[in-house]
Amino acid sequence: MEEEISIRATTIFYVGPLPVTNTIFSAWIAMAVLVGISILATRRMTLVPSRFQNLVEYVVELLLGVCENTAGRRARQFFPVVATSFLFILTSNWMGLLPGYGDTPWLRSSASDLNVTMSMALIVFFLVQGWAIKSQGILGYLKEFVVPMPLHLLSELSRPVSLAFRLFGNIFAGEVVIATITKLFAIALPMVFFGLEVFVGILQALIFSMLSLVFLTMATLHEEKHPQGGAH
Amino acid sequence: MPESFIPLAAGLAMGLGAIGPGIGIGYGAGKAVEAIGRNPEVSGTILVPMLIGLGMAEAVAIYALVIAFLLFGKM
Repeated sequence: MEEEISIRATTIFYVGPLPVTNTIFSAWIAMAVLVGISILATRRMTLVPSRFQNLVEYVVELLLGVCENTAGRRARQFFPVVATSFLFILTSNWMGLLPGYGDTPWLRSSASDLNVTMSMALIVFFLVQGWAIKSQGILGYLKEFVVPMPLHLLSELSRPVSLAFRLFGNIFAGEVVIATITKLFAIALPMVFFGLEVFVGILQALIFSMLSLVFLTMATLHEEKHPQGGAH
Repeated sequence: MPESFIPLAAGLAMGLGAIGPGIGIGYGAGKAVEAIGRNPEVSGTILVPMLIGLGMAEAVAIYALVIAFLLFGKM
């Protein structure tokens, strides 16, 4: 059995020196879908919402509630990143199950490209460091690395790696599994795996955004300890 | 000569790499079900943390899978 899906995404065209891959093109499509939904929902906003606006508001309130449960008073500041990563990963994963998506020249699920997931993980990583510096000051931030070295350094460095590989591995493995099963027996049996991929899609989106929220919350947690324990 | 070990390495990577996560996921889900058995009302509250915990345990198996894929591609 030859290699069905390559780990590397195929490049479609170049914008100047930068290659545009099928995964990036699919990411643009997912972005267009999300922006389109937002525009449609906010076009004629009323205080008593219409059905579609109500649905979108429900999703937003759900995500904001989860943020407030974890992050408390900083929920509104973390909400954009957490909600955007959740909605984008969810949209991209579920669109990847539509007919036409696969290792085709134009369409491939964005999260099945390690570049996409790693860039999202790195954004979260830099955000966490930035928030830590902002809430604890440069000295407080550096002090975290002195106390049992290299514990804090290793844990901080391993987070983007694990975030990126978890999402990439799950979605890419799902693509390979579906391609393989469809090659073996294309009637009825792939439906089971498509169902699994729907579940995995939303679960991985949830895990990525929840973990980002938890990391951001932990980075800004210490400022509450200062008034209580003077020796921090 | 070393190239002939690649299929074996891929198989071993995935096989051994699935042992730990398998045990972890079974243990975690078992504990969650046990908690629901003691107190059926918390089933909604336990669901999301359980899924997140299982997802993190599964990620370790996924790391092994990625290694297996990389080796598989080198065959």
